[in-house]
Amino acid sequence: MTLFDLTAGPFLEFAFMRRALAACLALSLGCGPVGVLLVLRRMSLMGDAMSHAVLPGAAIGFLAAGLSLWAMGIGGFLAGLAVALLAGLVSRVTALREDASFAAFYLISLAGGVLIVSLRGSNVDLMHVLFGTILAVDDAGLLLVAGIATVTLLTLALLYRPMVLECFDSGFLRAVGGAGGRLGAACHLVFLVLVVLNLVGGFQALGTLMAVGLMMLPAASARFWAEGVVALALIAMGLAFASGIGGLLLSFHFNLPSGPAIVLAAGGGYLLSLTLGPVGSLRTRWFPGRHREA
Amino acid sequence: MTLASYNGPPDAPVNAPVDAIVRLTDLTLGYRRHPAVHHLSGGFREGSLTAVVGPNGAGKSTLLKAVVGALKPFDGKVTLHGLTARDIGYLPQQAEVERDFPIDVLDTVLLGHWRRVGIFRAIGRTLTRQAEEALAAVGLAGFERRPIGALSAGQFQRVLFARLLVQDARLILLDEPFTAIDARTTADLLDVVRRWHGERRTVVAVLHDMEQVRAHFPDTLLLAREPVAWGRTDEALNPANLARARMMAEAWDDKAEVCRRSSS
Amino acid sequence: MKRTFAASLATALALFALPALAEPVKVVATFTILGDMVRQIGGDEVAVTTLVGPDGDAHVYEPTPADARALGSANLVVANGLGMEGWIDRLVKASGYKGPVTVTSTGVKPIAGEEEEHDHDHGHGHDHGAHDPHAWQSVANAKIYADNILKGLVAAAPDKAAALRANHAAYKAKLDAVDAEIKTALKPIPRKDRKIVTSHDAFGYYAKAYGVTFLAPVGVSTEAEASAGDIAKLIRQIKKEKIKAVFVESIADPRLLEQITRETGARIGGRVYSDALSAADGPAATYIDMMRYNLGQFTKALAPAS
Repeated sequence: MTLFDLTAGPFLEFAFMRRALAACLALSLGCGPVGVLLVLRRMSLMGDAMSHAVLPGAAIGFLAAGLSLWAMGIGGFLAGLAVALLAGLVSRVTALREDASFAAFYLISLAGGVLIVSLRGSNVDLMHVLFGTILAVDDAGLLLVAGIATVTLLTLALLYRPMVLECFDSGFLRAVGGAGGRLGAACHLVFLVLVVLNLVGGFQALGTLMAVGLMMLPAASARFWAEGVVALALIAMGLAFASGIGGLLLSFHFNLPSGPAIVLAAGGGYLLSLTLGPVGSLRTRWFPGRHREA
Repeated sequence: MTLASYNGPPDAPVNAPVDAIVRLTDLTLGYRRHPAVHHLSGGFREGSLTAVVGPNGAGKSTLLKAVVGALKPFDGKVTLHGLTARDIGYLPQQAEVERDFPIDVLDTVLLGHWRRVGIFRAIGRTLTRQAEEALAAVGLAGFERRPIGALSAGQFQRVLFARLLVQDARLILLDEPFTAIDARTTADLLDVVRRWHGERRTVVAVLHDMEQVRAHFPDTLLLAREPVAWGRTDEALNPANLARARMMAEAWDDKAEVCRRSSS
Repeated sequence: MKRTFAASLATALALFALPALAEPVKVVATFTILGDMVRQIGGDEVAVTTLVGPDGDAHVYEPTPADARALGSANLVVANGLGMEGWIDRLVKASGYKGPVTVTSTGVKPIAGEEEEHDHDHGHGHDHGAHDPHAWQSVANAKIYADNILKGLVAAAPDKAAALRANHAAYKAKLDAVDAEIKTALKPIPRKDRKIVTSHDAFGYYAKAYGVTFLAPVGVSTEAEASAGDIAKLIRQIKKEKIKAVFVESIADPRLLEQITRETGARIGGRVYSDALSAADGPAATYIDMMRYNLGQFTKALAPAS
C-alpha cells in the first residue's frame, strides 16, 4: 500500500469520493473568505447562531416540498436572513446590542424549527435529512454549492473595498462612502446574505453544525499564517479544502462519519496553526527568535 | 438653580461671520434626550483654524459628529456652505478604528483617495505616489508595507494624518488628535495642521492642552455644553471664561426639566 | 418533566374514566402495521389508536402527552416487542395504564439483529437489543401476530369472541394467499440473483423466509451516519457480487443510495415500505398491501433485463 494508494486511490476508484471532493472545493472557496470576514468583524460566533436560525425555514421547506434541495435551501435562506435582519434592525432602533438581539432571535428561530419538526404528526426523521452528508451530494447539490461559491467570490471581488473598509474603519466609510453614509449598511447587508447563503450551501452537504466548522476553523487558523485580507482569505480557502481532503480520507480509511471527520481535520489544522504558525502563535510567543537591529 | 434647568440667554458672544463655511443655528445635540451641546449658534470661517476646548463631557466630540452628519440634532441645524459632507476630512478618536485589522500602512493611506476611486476604479501610480508623499510628510517614509498592528500609537496617528493629507479635504475635523501621543509626534503633526492652515483649509480640532491651543490656534470655541466663548483664542481663554466653563461642566441630571428654550 | 406531566395528566383523567360497556374495545397499537392487523381482526368491535403514524419511525419515536392519555383510557395495548419500541415501557408506566399488553411477536423465532454481511461495527446507537424486531416481514410470522392479537382481543372482550374468531380466520386465509403469492413470484428468479440493497435492513425475516439477500449501506440503525469507508466497501461489494437492485427505503436518506446506484449501475427500485405503512391513500395502506407492493417492486427490479 503506497502513499499514493492511500491518498489518491480512494478518489480515483470512487466517483462519490470525487463528488465529495468537488463539493468540498466549492464550499471552501465560498466559506473561506466569508469566515475570514466574520473573524475580522469579531462576529465569529454569529455564524453558529445563524446556522441554527436556518433550521425552521429548512424544516418548513421540507414539510412543504419533501426532500427538495431548492425548497429546503430557499426556506433556510429566508429564515436565516430574517433572523439576521431582525437582529440588525433591533440593535439599530433599540438600546440592545447586536449580539444580544442575535442570540434572542436565533433562539426563537431554533425553537420554532424544533417545534415545527415535532408537530408534524408522522415523526419523519427530519434531523437525518437536515444533517446532510457530503457523501450523498448529488448533481443538484453540487450545482448549488458551486453556484453559491461563484456568487460569493464575485460579490466579494466587486465589493472588496467597502467590505474591508466597513470592518476596518466603518466611521471612515460612513464619512467618505457617499450614498448618504449608507454604503456601510448596504455592505453589511450584502455580507449577511453571503453568510446565510454559504451556510445554506454548507448544510445541504455537511449539516448545519458542520458547515459552520468549515467556515470558522480555517478562517481562525489563517490568522496565524498571514497578514493582509487577501492572503487570509486564500489561506482559509486552502486550509478548508485541505481539511475536506483530510476528513474524507479519514472517513474512508477509518470508517468515520464524513461530516465530523472533515470538521475535526479543520480543528486539527487550527491547533497546528495555533502552535506553529508564523504570526502571533504560541511558538512566536515562546520562542520569539533573536530580535532585529531595527 | 441647577445648570440643566438654566433658562437665561447665553451671554457668550455669538460668532457668526458672513463667510462661514459651516454655520450652526441654535444647535442642540445629545444622547437620550439629555443635551450635550445646548443652543449653540455661530460659524467656522473659511480658512480658519479653530480649537474646540472645554471640560470633559462638554459636547466637543458631539459637535464634530453633528458637523459630519453622523448625529441628528435635537434642535437647530448645521449648514454647510459650498461643500458637501464628502468634502470633510474627519479624524475620530482612536478607539473607533480597528487597530489589529490586517491592513498595511500604505493601503490605509490609500483609503484617503476614496472620493476619487470609489469602489471600483483602480489606484494608479499617481495616486500611490501621492500616498507615499503623504507618508513622507508625516515622517513615515519606508513604513509602507508595515501592518498597522505593528505601529505605536504615535505612528498610527501619523498614518491617519497622512490619510487626511491624501483626502484633500476642505474642512478638516480632528477629535483629540494628540491625546496619548508623544511630544515629537505632536510637534510633527502640528506642522501638518499649520500646513493645512497655510493652504486655506478650514481646520477644527478638539484639544485639551491650553498651552498648545494658545501657541498654535488663532481661534477657539470654549464649550461647556453651553457655548461659553467663541472668538480669538486669547480673548476666549481669559480666566473668567475658563472658571465659568469649569463650573458648568458635566451636568447630567436625570430629573432635569424639559428645556423651555426649544424653538418648537 | 415531560413524563411527570404526562403521568399526572393520565392519573387525573383516570379518575374520571367510567367503565365502557357497549362501546367497542379501545385498542392502542404502537405503530401502523400492528394497528392495521388489529383493525382486520377486530373489525367493528374495536376502535384502534396508532401511536406512530404512517411513514413514521417507531425506533426513535418520542411519545407525547396525548399518547399517555390514549393509553390511560385503553382496554388493550398491542406492541411488537423484540426491542422495537424502546419507549413503550416508560409510556405505559407514565400513563398509569394497568391493563393487558399483547406482545405480537410472542412465539416468533427471533433472528439476530446483525446480518452476516456486516463485517464492520457501527456502534448502533439505539436499543434493538440482540434481536431483529422486524418479524412481520415474514408472512408466517404475521400469522403468529394475528393469533396473538386474537388472543388479546378475546381476553379483553369475551362477549365478542365469535365475531373476532370469524374475522381472524378470514384474515389468516388472506395471509396464506399472500405468502404463496410471494413464493411463486420469486421462483423464476435464481436465488443467486436475488440480491437487493436497501437503506434500512428491516428485511432480515423476509430474507430468511423467501431466500432474498438484503444488504444495507448503513447498519440496522436509521441513526448512524455512513462513513466514506462503509460506502466504498458496499460499492465494491455490489460490483463484485453483481447486485442488481437498490431500494430507497421509506425512512432513511435516499440521496446516499442514488449515489451508490450511479456508481455501480445497479437498478434503482421504487420506494419500499418496511416498518411503517403509507397513508390511507398510499400504495401500502394495509399490511397485506405493503407485502404485495414490496413484492412488485422487488420482482420488477430483479427481473432480468429483456
